[in-house]
Amino acid sequence: MLHLLQIDLKKLTSYRTFWVVCGLYFFTLGTTTASGMEFLKWLVSMGASFGAEINITRIPFYHFPDVWQNITFVSGFFKAILSFMVVISITNEFSYRTVRQNVIDGLSRSQFLISKVLTNVLLSAMSTIMVFVIALITGMIYSPSIIMGDVLTDLEFFLAYFLEVFAFLSFALLLGILIQRSGLTIVILVLSRLIEAIIMANIDDYVPWMIPYLPMESISNLVPMPFPRYVFQEIQDYVSISSVLIAGAWTFVFNYLAYLKLKKSDI
Amino acid sequence: MKAVLQIENLTKNFGRLCAVNKMNLKVEAGQVFGMLGPNGSGKTTTLGMLMSVINPSSGSFKWFGEEATHETRKKIGAVLEHPIFYPYLTGQKNLELTAMIKGATKDQIAEVLQLVELTDRRNDKYKTYSLGMKQRLAIASALLNDPLVLILDEPTNGLDPMGIAEIRELIKKIASDGRTIILASHLLDEVQKVCTHFAVLKKGNMVYSGPVEDVNNGSETVEVNAEGDISEVLSAFDGVSAVNRENGFYEVKLKDGIKSKDLNKFLFEQGVTASHLVTKKRSLEKQFLEILAESK
Repeated sequence: MLHLLQIDLKKLTSYRTFWVVCGLYFFTLGTTTASGMEFLKWLVSMGASFGAEINITRIPFYHFPDVWQNITFVSGFFKAILSFMVVISITNEFSYRTVRQNVIDGLSRSQFLISKVLTNVLLSAMSTIMVFVIALITGMIYSPSIIMGDVLTDLEFFLAYFLEVFAFLSFALLLGILIQRSGLTIVILVLSRLIEAIIMANIDDYVPWMIPYLPMESISNLVPMPFPRYVFQEIQDYVSISSVLIAGAWTFVFNYLAYLKLKKSDI
Repeated sequence: MKAVLQIENLTKNFGRLCAVNKMNLKVEAGQVFGMLGPNGSGKTTTLGMLMSVINPSSGSFKWFGEEATHETRKKIGAVLEHPIFYPYLTGQKNLELTAMIKGATKDQIAEVLQLVELTDRRNDKYKTYSLGMKQRLAIASALLNDPLVLILDEPTNGLDPMGIAEIRELIKKIASDGRTIILASHLLDEVQKVCTHFAVLKKGNMVYSGPVEDVNNGSETVEVNAEGDISEVLSAFDGVSAVNRENGFYEVKLKDGIKSKDLNKFLFEQGVTASHLVTKKRSLEKQFLEILAESK
């Protein structure tokens, strides 16, 4: 297993695009999630000129345990950048035809796929750890008092976030294997959420129960939007088991379809 | 002798096109086996199936007497069609990657780089290499992990005459270590110069298979010339099956078992002194064209 991961990392670590895309990803992910307070301050200063007064310290954005859900939710948007790297990595193998040579040299097709999936696991885990560290530090800075009970509450959002990223990267990997061209794959990847939204709007009146089962919807349901709570609305402030099961099932389906496609085709 | 490769009824259809049709073939240890055939005759498709990158429609094959798995492929070094590497990696890193996949040691990398004379350029990116260097790197990569069998598909494609000669020398050097080599080519000259056995493919069908030596067996053709018209004298010889006049020479086809020296002796006895007498080697090219023509 580790050997297969090393093989894929060997391909990536000397590839400049990989460092640039991953660097940009972790940089924007880190700065955005860490600078929420600065953003709120800016918003207030804008509001002040209109005579509105908001006391931002009363919005417990970075307070434990709110910070866990808030930050994992915001971080979820950045997974698209990471997924582009996955698309580039897999479509390169087809355009250079190196997948063919890898198999000729003695990787089985499933080993080839596993090496890619393991990289997805690693990227998802690194994202999760990074987001956790940022949330922990910002939480410690901005929480008025640090109560161990609050810190340890709602940590399951990180599992949900990990699954969210990994599921999306699995989807990107599958699209890359099916389409094999990077540009087209990225366009379809970006549009997939939109296409699903159109489907959702159309089936809403007939089979609304189906909506949570749609792939992109199930992925975004893992960490629900937390912000309405600050305007006193009810939100789902927990990870629902059903959304984990549905997204987990889709993740399995994505990777299994990728396996079937790779197994059946002439490469 | 032990069969390194045994193919049974191997078939590949691409839709309605039959790229390889019920191929049966046996390659034994130590052979340098040439696969000849015009472009599009199914050579690369066959090799692709043998390396498990193309799924056969039907039929089977065995490497070293066992079902092929990715483990058996590690004992085979293969370059199909053109060299394939990561363009953004250096030659050295590309080979390190192949070594990781094949389970070869790092020391071997320096060894094979030395063999193909790319040691000086090993830290340059693959995309900066000339075609000849790419071909050589591909051979180096195929040689990692000491393969029992080497598969080369058009290894001299697109090379200049010097590059072709270099690759040919390299193949001979590798073959002299007792390794089995399967060489696909449409260059007959190449096959004749390095191969011990060969097969001819035509539109997916194997139309001939046998040792290269056999090409020179069979009836001999002799080119003769002497002063005056000697066609009648030549025709009078029992061992002659046909006489043609070509390019100012008499081309005499002899019957089986009759050698050029017999003809020379006969002419001398008849009082004719030949000013020119050459035994024509049947070239593989001629044989190849004959085989293709016969199989119509």
